[in-house]
Amino acid sequence: MSGYLKLSVQNLLRHRTRSALTMLGIAASVGVLFSVLSFNRGFNQGLAAELDRTGLHFMVVPSGCAHEVAALVLHGAVIPKFLDTGVMSRLKATDGIALATPILVAQLPDPQRGKVDLIYGVDMAVLAAIKPGWQITGRIPANDSEILLGYEVAQHGKLKPGDRFAAPGGVPLVVAGIVGLTGSQDDAFVYLPIGTAQKLLGQQDAATAIGVRVSDPERMKGIIDTLAAAVPGIQIVTMGEVMNSIANLAAAARALSLALVLIAILISAVGVMNSVLMAVFERTQEIGMMRAVGASRRDIFRIILEETSILAACGGVCGIVVAVLGSRLIETFVRTVMPYVPSGKLISFDPLLALGSVAFILVIGITAGLYPAWKAAKINPIEAIKG
Amino acid sequence: MIHLKNIEKSYRRGAEEVRALKGVDLQLHSGELLAITGPSGAGKTTLLHILGCLDQPTRGEVLIDGIDAAKIPEPDLVRLRREKIGFVFQQFYLIPGLSVFDNIALPLLFSKKPLQRDKVIALAEMVGLGHRLDHRPAQLSGGEMQRTAIARGLVNDPEILLADEPTGNLDSDNSEKIFAILRTLTGNGLATVMITHNPELAARADRVVQLRDGRLSR
Repeated sequence: MSGYLKLSVQNLLRHRTRSALTMLGIAASVGVLFSVLSFNRGFNQGLAAELDRTGLHFMVVPSGCAHEVAALVLHGAVIPKFLDTGVMSRLKATDGIALATPILVAQLPDPQRGKVDLIYGVDMAVLAAIKPGWQITGRIPANDSEILLGYEVAQHGKLKPGDRFAAPGGVPLVVAGIVGLTGSQDDAFVYLPIGTAQKLLGQQDAATAIGVRVSDPERMKGIIDTLAAAVPGIQIVTMGEVMNSIANLAAAARALSLALVLIAILISAVGVMNSVLMAVFERTQEIGMMRAVGASRRDIFRIILEETSILAACGGVCGIVVAVLGSRLIETFVRTVMPYVPSGKLISFDPLLALGSVAFILVIGITAGLYPAWKAAKINPIEAIKG
Repeated sequence: MIHLKNIEKSYRRGAEEVRALKGVDLQLHSGELLAITGPSGAGKTTLLHILGCLDQPTRGEVLIDGIDAAKIPEPDLVRLRREKIGFVFQQFYLIPGLSVFDNIALPLLFSKKPLQRDKVIALAEMVGLGHRLDHRPAQLSGGEMQRTAIARGLVNDPEILLADEPTGNLDSDNSEKIFAILRTLTGNGLATVMITHNPELAARADRVVQLRDGRLSR
């Protein structure tokens, strides 16, 4: 260990509790910074992967706030608007479309039970692709009389796979499976084959949105332009736009969390400055002695700056370690408070991001140490030795 | 070696101007042990700080080996202090977290010299602390701490050792040990200036000067 480093380390060890608390402040802010940045990265990657897994290239939705409709359809919400019934047949007749799968999200009142069911009609063959993170007890419905229940619906009706589900109008339905708790609006829906949903609603060919896969993605733009010109009352949103739409919804939370992280970092920087400044004042005589035995102002500046660098670097590394170890806990918490979170691991260890976070806090720490170091370098040895 | 010519030092204390030194002339030679005595507030410590290039006079010349320390810029003053002057303080000012060895070696760090382990050990042995190298200051007696401080003052091979009441905090036994070390050092050619309130020790120096109201009397 170099002489300067040894001197700086022993100065920090002299007040172990104070140094540890200052380091803790840095660790907390770096940990949160790393977690937020990792989460944002994981969120966008997860979302992109999730949309990619649907196998759909774009969605046809009723004209209006198209992006929002598309986003809500993907993560479950009732849209009080249907596509015109002719849209589906026009789509099927369009050249270049390989698959057009309708999605119907609606409220279904049941006067007999005095309650309203939220139904999500979809082609069961694509359900697994649209909802890849689901854990299902039982199985996905195999015919038009089978349904899948959201966790809360099953809990509320005390239903399990194989039970009968009393649908309005006495339509006999059987529970094929139950979706595990997602912590999102998915828990409140009854999932059923699209044809069954249309029958229950009495709306043949009705859909809230139609997911479309084209046979040649390179021709997508041309197909979208043709459809938009030919079919009135629709809007077309590509999966990239849907992703942007959801990402934008999450952006406000991200901006707020980043602002909070920056405030936390600012507070920890003030903590570092305060702690090191206090240490400088306490060691005034010692610094005076060092000046007397040959230390230049630059030597003193260097010793103090090394102390802040050590505090920041150790705090930074500890923060990253704690954030990585606690990532599962953070993810669980985020999933319970955010309405939509992509499936899969959101916070993972990215060495570059970790290094960047530590480098960032190192710069902040060194900046916070400049003033105490300057104060220490300015100490007059005569005044210091007089005490 | 050191020649102070008509040194004056004044500073402000609030609205009042204090004249700490009023025309001091002093010469110090190699191998000489000079004791400076005088009542508190007479200007002894101010004179020692000027001798040690920690402070600069308001007027006069401080010639160290022919260089006027009163007229050179701060970086040169730091270098002069590093190369030619060693300090010993009444309060020792050892760094608590460092061992005896590291405390003695501290000035080598600032003079950018490589760590000279043998030299540090030899100095520790010279002041009777060869067996205490790994001890921390808190594990030493007052006399041992002051002997560590003397070894630290010598590690850069200074030409002059300035000791500000080096026995002020010590009992008579330890005071004797410190004085004996200073005597040995001057015997080896080191010029030593010692401020002391102990008339008995002062009387055993090669020369005694008394400061009173900022003026020297012999």
